[in-house]
Amino acid sequence: MTTKTRAEWTQLGRRAFLQSGTLLAGAAAMPQILSMPRAYAQAGSTMVIAAPATPQSLDCNFDVSLGTFEAIAALYDGLLGFERIIDPDVATARREDIAYHADKMGGVNMYGKLAESWELDPEGRWARFKLREGVMSNWGNELTAEDVKWTWDRAFALGALGAFYTKVSGLTRPENVKVEDKYTVSFNIDEPNPLLLKIHTNLYTPVYDSKKCREEGGSEDPWARKFIENNSAGFGPYSLEQMVRGQQAVFKAREDYYGGKPAIDRVIFKEVPTSAARVQLLRGGAVDIAQYLQPLEIISLKDLPNVAVETVPASFMIWIELNAAMEPFDKPDVRRALNYAFPQDQVMTAVFQGLADPLNGCMPNIYPGFAGDQVDYSYNLEKARELLAKAGHGDGFKTTLAYNAGDPVQEPIAIIYQTALREIGVELELKKVPAGSFYNAVTDRKQPMIFYVDSPWCPDPGYSLTLYFDSKSYVNYSNYKNDEVDRLLGEMAATADEKVRLDLAEKAQAIIMDEAPWTFVAYPNYTMARKKDLSGWTYYTSNNIRFQDFSRG
Amino acid sequence: MAMARDAGARARGGSRRLAFFMAVLRTHPSFALGYAIVLMVVLLAIFAPWVAPYPPETADPVAFLQPPGWPHLMGTDATGMDIFSRVIWAPRIDLSIAILGTLLSALIGTTLGALVGYYQSVRGLGRFGAGFVMRSADVLQAFPVFVFAIALVAVFGQSLQSIVLAIAFVNAPIYLRLMRTQVMSIRTMRYVEAAWLAGMPDWRIIARHIVPNAMAPVLAQLSVNIGWSVLLTAALSFIGAGVKAPTPEWGSMIAMGYQNIVTGHWWPSIFPGLALAVTVFGFSLVGSSIEVLSDPARRRRLAGRLETVRGIAP
Repeated sequence: MTTKTRAEWTQLGRRAFLQSGTLLAGAAAMPQILSMPRAYAQAGSTMVIAAPATPQSLDCNFDVSLGTFEAIAALYDGLLGFERIIDPDVATARREDIAYHADKMGGVNMYGKLAESWELDPEGRWARFKLREGVMSNWGNELTAEDVKWTWDRAFALGALGAFYTKVSGLTRPENVKVEDKYTVSFNIDEPNPLLLKIHTNLYTPVYDSKKCREEGGSEDPWARKFIENNSAGFGPYSLEQMVRGQQAVFKAREDYYGGKPAIDRVIFKEVPTSAARVQLLRGGAVDIAQYLQPLEIISLKDLPNVAVETVPASFMIWIELNAAMEPFDKPDVRRALNYAFPQDQVMTAVFQGLADPLNGCMPNIYPGFAGDQVDYSYNLEKARELLAKAGHGDGFKTTLAYNAGDPVQEPIAIIYQTALREIGVELELKKVPAGSFYNAVTDRKQPMIFYVDSPWCPDPGYSLTLYFDSKSYVNYSNYKNDEVDRLLGEMAATADEKVRLDLAEKAQAIIMDEAPWTFVAYPNYTMARKKDLSGWTYYTSNNIRFQDFSRG
Repeated sequence: MAMARDAGARARGGSRRLAFFMAVLRTHPSFALGYAIVLMVVLLAIFAPWVAPYPPETADPVAFLQPPGWPHLMGTDATGMDIFSRVIWAPRIDLSIAILGTLLSALIGTTLGALVGYYQSVRGLGRFGAGFVMRSADVLQAFPVFVFAIALVAVFGQSLQSIVLAIAFVNAPIYLRLMRTQVMSIRTMRYVEAAWLAGMPDWRIIARHIVPNAMAPVLAQLSVNIGWSVLLTAALSFIGAGVKAPTPEWGSMIAMGYQNIVTGHWWPSIFPGLALAVTVFGFSLVGSSIEVLSDPARRRRLAGRLETVRGIAP
């Protein structure tokens, strides 16, 4: 395909796509009359994705928008990855092998991405990586240990998310990261840290092409913030061809990718804000993948001949924060009562259409160390009333539940919960918070009850539990504080002995589940809705797709 | 004796007026339809607790998204609430917000309008004040109504009171202008001059002689405005700036259900949408009938036509 014909073709496709979008907007009520143009779908090695939003920024040191996740995975690579296996539940899908492997280094089953080999101190005080030789960036610069060093220096210098990653991996100063020779880099820390390897599988610890970044940034912008925000300089499988925020981002497969050129030549990542429209585009064949659909929409796709739908267990969790710093949620009995009064089974059927699993623990059920079912909070009004009375609220109380206007499952859950709580005398006022300010409402920690959806990206019990339940954690939005839990989590962070850590994790979970800092709602799972002829999809704990996994046929 | 004759004449006048009104309805079925709709909506609002088969705010997640049929006439929504009951309960909220808001706007608008109209041609402070009020109204009206209402709700916070206030604010300038124009022409009438010469204070002239004679267009406007206010309330709720979930309200019901249309579950939003459309339509018809009936010239023409047809006149 010459450049010229490709350009013409793109133009044509875009017009067809826009037409279908306009039609949709007007005819949402009559979905069946729409017939989608098939321009993109037949274009062999092009893949079109309908997503809620294009990336805000391409700098993963600052941006955590959904579109940014997808872009970072395409443009950058890190040092390591978890080995991939066939999903035990869904044979057509693959997933990471995040289980604990006593026989492997660090207890993890990993493969080298930018790293060719690695060594780990059994005590967990250092890790050394030998990089692949001859790996080129999308600007033609060869990967060296300097690039890794520069990447972590940038994290130290800019703070924000970088500060988080340095902290959890035990790095306290830039000198902790050392260039040993041209292709060898080591991480040396003062205290033992269990995440020394795992942190390098994280989507948000990619390696930058430091030479290009230095050139672009110059002395005015030494960390190339402006450049990285809108462009890329990495060693990933794709390069950025175009980005128009609010419309689309286009990624092009790199011929010189060290892992071989990806099967899909070009990925067009389209912004289609409403899930109803994304479903329609997939139904009509105008896109290959429709992301983030609602349960009812997913069900409606299941019988279509040209669409495949796969739902796999994921690291996502949805829960309601019960603010322990506010009355009456400072009393564990009140929080327990609220869990007993939550009609979890009904929510699973009515709201999630059976696509989710009940949240029966306080960390992802797919992670090593997950205990689960330590406390049975099945719907039990008698018990709920008893506990409320014991806490001195036998007559019930009034409170507010805040939910995100941008997440269509939260309102129905809130309404069902409101009806259920009336049974035990708790009057719930529902407060709809606009999607744009919802995250602030959560981080303010001033709501007595507020929904939250999150997934801890590092498949590690210490990492997950510390995020939400360590009294000093920024993400502990329910203001939960228990000295014993703090102590157990502290111990977990200070030892690299996986066996000991798993034992500590179980103890911590037992206390947390008993004290119920949340109303435990659901594991919503991850659903991939795609064209049938697309294969290779792999689920990652970062809950994003990686374009290089896909191929046609 | 004289009193009895008087009362009799009044009664005869009353029944003749009613007969005229009924005759107008017979010859103008669209007006009759309007009154019927409004009457029905008002009755539903009053008797909802007895008519509705289910409580309007109680979820029943076992019976979610049931299609229209029995026992759920209009089906159930995603949380299992009965749509029929909610559609019936909704006018309580929608109508009371709309009526309160409209009455408040009429009160503010007509009071200011009467003062402005009366003092506009008086030199000094009155004229300055009148000019100031009119320019402020210009500024208010320069904003698109919906955007202005959203801004007001955002400022006052999300509650029923703020929606009422928002409706009052956005509509007040309409009444202000209507009243001002009327008052400006009435002000020059001989009887007003006579009252002034007789030494009546300004406020009494305005209250006794001007306002009662200037009210007709305001009354016609009221009905149309209530219809539009119902629509505005629903629109605010649709975008999430109105009532709180799960309060039964047409706009928020449409918003809660429209995501499901694509998957074939049309009933959670189509039924409240129809109810809303019919109600607004009804109020518009009533508004146009009042407009016809309160305009002396048009009423006379109508009476003349009816007289030749049926021998009835007011």
